[in-house]
Amino acid sequence: MNKLSVSDVKAFLSKMNSVAVEKKDYLIDLDSKMGDGDLGLTMAAVFAAVDEFAAGWTEDDLGSMLMKGGMAMSKAAPSTMGTLMATGFMRGGKALKGCTEMGTAEAASFWQAFVGGIMDRGKSKPGEKTIIDSLHPAAEALEAAAAAGEDLSVAAVKAKKAAEEGRDATVGMVAQHGRAAYYQEKSADIMDPGATMGAILIGTFADFVAA
Amino acid sequence: MKKFLNKPENFVDEMIEGIMAAHPEKLKYVNDDLRCVCTATGKDGKVGIATGGGSGHLPLFLGYVGDGMLDGCSVGGVFQSPSAEQMLEVTKDIDKGAGVLYIYGNYGGDIMNFDMAAEMAEMEDIKVLQVVAGEDVASSKKGEEHKRRGVAGIFFVYKIAGAAADDMKTLEEVKAVAEKVCANVRTMGVALSPCIVPEVGKPSFTIEEGEMEIGMGIHGEPGIEKGPLKPADDVVETMLNAILEDLPYESGDEVAVLMNGLGATPKEELYVMYRKVNMMLKEKGISVFHVYAGEYATSMEMAGASISLLKLDDELKKYLAKPAYTPFFEQVQL
Repeated sequence: MNKLSVSDVKAFLSKMNSVAVEKKDYLIDLDSKMGDGDLGLTMAAVFAAVDEFAAGWTEDDLGSMLMKGGMAMSKAAPSTMGTLMATGFMRGGKALKGCTEMGTAEAASFWQAFVGGIMDRGKSKPGEKTIIDSLHPAAEALEAAAAAGEDLSVAAVKAKKAAEEGRDATVGMVAQHGRAAYYQEKSADIMDPGATMGAILIGTFADFVAA
Repeated sequence: MKKFLNKPENFVDEMIEGIMAAHPEKLKYVNDDLRCVCTATGKDGKVGIATGGGSGHLPLFLGYVGDGMLDGCSVGGVFQSPSAEQMLEVTKDIDKGAGVLYIYGNYGGDIMNFDMAAEMAEMEDIKVLQVVAGEDVASSKKGEEHKRRGVAGIFFVYKIAGAAADDMKTLEEVKAVAEKVCANVRTMGVALSPCIVPEVGKPSFTIEEGEMEIGMGIHGEPGIEKGPLKPADDVVETMLNAILEDLPYESGDEVAVLMNGLGATPKEELYVMYRKVNMMLKEKGISVFHVYAGEYATSMEMAGASISLLKLDDELKKYLAKPAYTPFFEQVQL
């Protein structure tokens, strides 16, 4: 697919909902090593909420759907990661307000605003062992692809690769945020659960575009 | 643990149920959620003021919802932030067309959720501005004031911003006066015993018998001086000197003083402490406009106290002196 319509994005959110359910126990285990252990539950809750919201959306404004879907996510899971994910959708949606479809340029705007929102809200930046470490490289890859005029199907594959590399690079980083930060150097051995979640999100998006 | 509880997990909701039952003419809750507390006597066209924060600090936070002070408060679990959703519901109820000001303490969870609530309110076309209060001089050194925790001194921010809003000032004006209070208030606390979160059932930090911790936060955050309990005058001297040097408060200044009990310290002891505060202020040539003594911001059953000073000018004095009437705080015109 080179352009996603409103109904395509709805289908992507539905796919993401089922992926979050599939990965729930995996994320709980990963997060239990140094975090609260609730990441899997939070992600299942927020993606169920945005899927349900989008399924009932009848307008053709893609941005508004994603923005308001973010608000629905926030209500579903008020934990830190729930709020960050909700913020991503709210800001990403806001950037696409009025758009009716998503090509490479729109995808770049969406994911840039998405990760920018998370950086603002979480007061963090790349390199601090968070979800930003997988989302930020993916958004950058999409932006470069948009500038080069590449199709979304090509761009999404690059974004997925960038997100996975970013996720892998969190091994070795010392956590700066959340409960894992208390472990200091000991946190370095672990792949960040947030960055892992970010790579799952981008990966699911890329796989959906490719399918 | 010896507490009046039914089930620990029902502690917060049952507390609010009791407050609602006692003050139905003053308070209500919205969105069918006990934790979204709003005034029942809101004034049309006035700037709405909302706060929020964890439970365990009464009269902070919801106790200041009422005439001449706050319009709404979202209530979290003990020492936990309420959700952005709850903050938004309160915001929607108290917006009377003049916008809403959020005033809350400088804690990570509260900041994230209030930021989120402000963004969501904006999407619903409600104008929101925010003031984050942090005046605990023990929590961060001078020059890093932005990192300071908000403690009892936020009472002054509520009182004065509330009076300005009641005076039908604009959102920007109310924010400006709230910020002026934040810039001129300083607090320091001392803890003598820890507190117990009902669902935890035991103290989450310890202070040994015969010991004190100067500068400890209202959730047990570490202070600046731990050691044997000293005579009250010596404790006050350490605390007040740190406060006086920080702003600094100088000869010729006029201040309001807040002597705050943390939950288990009787008023008698607060006045033993105030005796020394008064002597020191006199010596410094600082005059006292008004003294508040009692429980204004507590930490469950923690024994201890905090001292807050607010440097006044004509504007702050005028608003501080105005009457207020809430279920937990009443004041006639000073």
